[in-house]
This record gives sequence, structure tokens and C-alpha cells, in this order.
Amino acid sequence: MVYWILLQKSFMRNMQYKVAHLINNAASAIFGFVFIAIWVGVLQGKENESPYSVLDMTYYIAAVQCILWLSGFLTAGLNIQNGVRNGAISLELARPTNFFLYVTSQEAGRLLYNLFFRSLPIGLVFFFTVGFYIPQHIPTYFFLCISILFAMIISINLHYLVGVSACWTTEINWAHFVNFTLLVGLGGQLVPIDLLPAPLSLITPYLPFAGAIYYPVMIFLEKASNDVILIQLVWVMVLTIFNLWITEKARHKLEIQGG
Amino acid sequence: MNLYLKLLSGSLRSRMQYKMNFLVSSLSYGLIMAVDFVLLAAILQRFDDVKGWNLYEVGLLYGISSVAITLYRVFCVEVHNFERYMVEGEFDSLLIRPVSPLSLLLTKNLDLSRIGGTIQGILILVISIIGLKLNNVELFLLLIYLPVTIFSGVLICFSLGLITATIAFWTQRIKDFQTFTLYAPFNAANYPMNIYPGWLKIIFFTVIPVGFMNYTPVLFLLNKGGDTWNLALPPLVSIIFLFIALRFWKFGIRHYHSTGS
Repeated sequence: MVYWILLQKSFMRNMQYKVAHLINNAASAIFGFVFIAIWVGVLQGKENESPYSVLDMTYYIAAVQCILWLSGFLTAGLNIQNGVRNGAISLELARPTNFFLYVTSQEAGRLLYNLFFRSLPIGLVFFFTVGFYIPQHIPTYFFLCISILFAMIISINLHYLVGVSACWTTEINWAHFVNFTLLVGLGGQLVPIDLLPAPLSLITPYLPFAGAIYYPVMIFLEKASNDVILIQLVWVMVLTIFNLWITEKARHKLEIQGG
Repeated sequence: MNLYLKLLSGSLRSRMQYKMNFLVSSLSYGLIMAVDFVLLAAILQRFDDVKGWNLYEVGLLYGISSVAITLYRVFCVEVHNFERYMVEGEFDSLLIRPVSPLSLLLTKNLDLSRIGGTIQGILILVISIIGLKLNNVELFLLLIYLPVTIFSGVLICFSLGLITATIAFWTQRIKDFQTFTLYAPFNAANYPMNIYPGWLKIIFFTVIPVGFMNYTPVLFLLNKGGDTWNLALPPLVSIIFLFIALRFWKFGIRHYHSTGS
């Protein structure tokens, strides 16, 4: 299957930069230590006012830093904008393969690489320093796998949407930054979304950003009902169908300028 | 200086050809930092303080750090993106010009889209200073000192950026180093240093001296500890660090080997 081969190739390409990524992992862990330090500073002596203890928040931040490499730090616009700028998009859209699957399977390969060479090493750093939660119930592992998969699909779709918008706007930098900000801000990178002030705390659980970061982390920490996967599933379907539709629109919009 | 201003105005004119793009980019960069601060405000509204620092006090640290790093991103965009010169072999063309490569890099381009972040940082500073309700003498001292601490912060940031860029002479790629040397430390400098464990504090007061930029002087200015020496430290440390960075840059250039083409 061509998409599986694309995924494998993308995985292998990322293997070239293992050393540089290890350095970045150290920085990612430092971000985690900074966020943990903030929560320790905030909660010490005030744990009775909070639904989360200091240890809860340590586990929460540690898990978030790991999941970010699977559903937070994706390639800006999945590089679709480059093809729009240099004209290669015309060839890519004309291929017999599905353009949406062609682009997303390459990103999936990168995320699979991230799982082994970013998320797991960062998780180990936290395990040996501040501690890392280990789920106590066997079914959690099953639901966690589904939740992480859905989180990756939601995020890939959001990034694809930003990338494909280049067919109309050419410039996607600002759209990428807005998307990234909403993803980490409303996805719960620093503050669990149930601690956000109302009305944000009422709306954010139903937005796709929570499905990309907050829900898989809460399932991992065994602090959320497994039903939240249904919210993720709805976003997986809505975004995928929308992106397949918008890809067709882009194909029809394409103008070959000659050469 | 004349040459510098001419080069800068040329860069400015070329950027302003795309006004809409400039406006949208600035707004989006500002939004990123605003969301970041709103989240912090949400925590501190609920839990009052972080190890004795309230929202406005943290806002002061946050604002100084934000303005410093975004000014660096505006004026030193080519130093920050120096990787390109190594990967695409463009550094040779800088070496044959009659002006030093560093001057060329600093005057070649401006990233005005980052101005949105600077404005947002200044807004946080204004809100925090109003919220602090300082008496006249304290307020006067703080306002007089703010440009010093921000300028020192830009110098520290530039020095860190230049040291990271110099690493590219050996490694070619530096983007992963930048997370380690710039993004993570400046993110940490948004908050008071007393919340960090000892080993992190040592890093932020030695090899990556961001702690001197805002925490040390603000401690004294808000009567949280230290003495007048705290005010002398930011300019002192930033000048020493700049000197080290420039020496390292020159050392890097001496060891640069073109790949040829």
C-alpha cells in the first residue's frame, strides 16, 4: 500500500536527525520542569482549594510534554504551502493517489518517529526525575491507544486545513500560529481546561483542541471517563470529511500557469 | 551608523510592500503571547500567587522578558535564522563584502511581524505597573530603570542567539539548539526564579544568564530583597556576555570552511 510506504519513508527520513532531536528533547523536558515548578509554586499550601494536588499536576504536565510531540508539534501546514508557492502542488494534486492521504501519511510517519524518539525519552526523563504516572487499570491502556490515535488524526487534520488554505491565501504563517496557539492554549498545555475561567471552561471541552491534548492525557491519568473518546471521534469524522471536501475544492481551483 | 540606518530603511520599505500580511502576522504573534499570559492570569486569579509573587509582579517579569526576546526577533532575524547561510552555502557571499559579516546580518532584514509581540509585552507591562499601585518614588525608579533592563535583556538574548548561530559553523543545523538556548530559558524568565529547583537556577544565573535580565532588578525594585547592586547586574552581565559571544563568533569564523560549489 502506497500510503504505508510513504509513512515508513517519512519515519526513516527523520531517523537522520536523531542527535539534534535528543538536544531538543532536553529543551522540551526543561519546558516541562518550568511548568511543573509554576504549579508547585502555585499549589503549595493551597492544595485544598484545588481539584488537583501538586503530584497530580506534576504527572499532568509530564504527560502533556510527551503527547505534544504526537499531536502538538506538527509540521506547519504539513508543508503544503511550499508546493503551492513553487507550483509543485499541480503535479501533486494530479497524481492518482489521494492528496489528503498522501500528505497525512507522511506526517503520520513523522509522528510515529516522534513516539519512539521524542515522547518515550522525554517520558523516561520525567520518570527518573519528578515521577511519571503509570495507569493502574488494564482497560486504560486500550482506551489510551485509541485516544492518542484520535488525537493525532485531529491534529493532522487541523494542520492540513491550515496548509491547504494556502491554495487561496499563499501565506499560511499567521494561520499556523493561530492554530498552534489555540491548540496548546485551549488544549490544556499549561492549564487543565476544567480550571479555565467560565465561559471558556464550558466551551473548550467540546472543541477539537481538547481532543488533541487534554483528553488523551486525562485518560492516561485515569481522571476522565472513557466516553470522551466519542467527542474525539466526532471531530475525527467531521474534520476528515471536511478536508476531503476542501481538497476537491482546491483541485477544481487549480490553475496551471504554463512554463 | 548612516549605513546601518540606510540598510534598515530599505528593509523596512520592502517589508511594507505587503501591509496586510504584516498586520495579520503581527496580530497573530501578539495573540499567541496574549493567550499565554491570559492562561497564567487564569491560574493566579484562582490561586492568588506563585511563591509570594502576585499576577502584577509576575506580569512585570513577563513583560520585560517578552519585550526583550521579541525585539531580538525583530532586529536580529538573520542571526536567528543563520542556519540558512550554512545549509544553503550563502555565508561565502558575506565574507567577500567590505563590511563585517555580523554587520551585514544585522542590517539585512527586519522581521516586523514580531512587533505584535513587543506591543503585547508593553501592554502587559503597562497593566502590571498600574496594578502594582506603587508610590511615586518606586514608580519613578521603575520607569527610569525599565529601558535599562529591557536593553540588557535584548543584549543577553542577542548574545545567546549569536553563540547559537556560531555553533552552526560546526553543526550546520541550529534550530534544535535554539529551543534549548533561547525559547526554554526565555519562557522560564517569564516567571520568578525562586520557583525553580536549584540546578535550574544555577543554569539561569550562569551559562544562560536570563535570571539577571528581569528577576534580579525586579526583586529590588519591588522590595522583595537584594540591594542597589541588583540594578547594576543586568547591564554588567549583558556586556560581559556580549563580549564572550562576539569572541566566540570571531573564533567560529576563523574555523569556517566553505564547502565550495
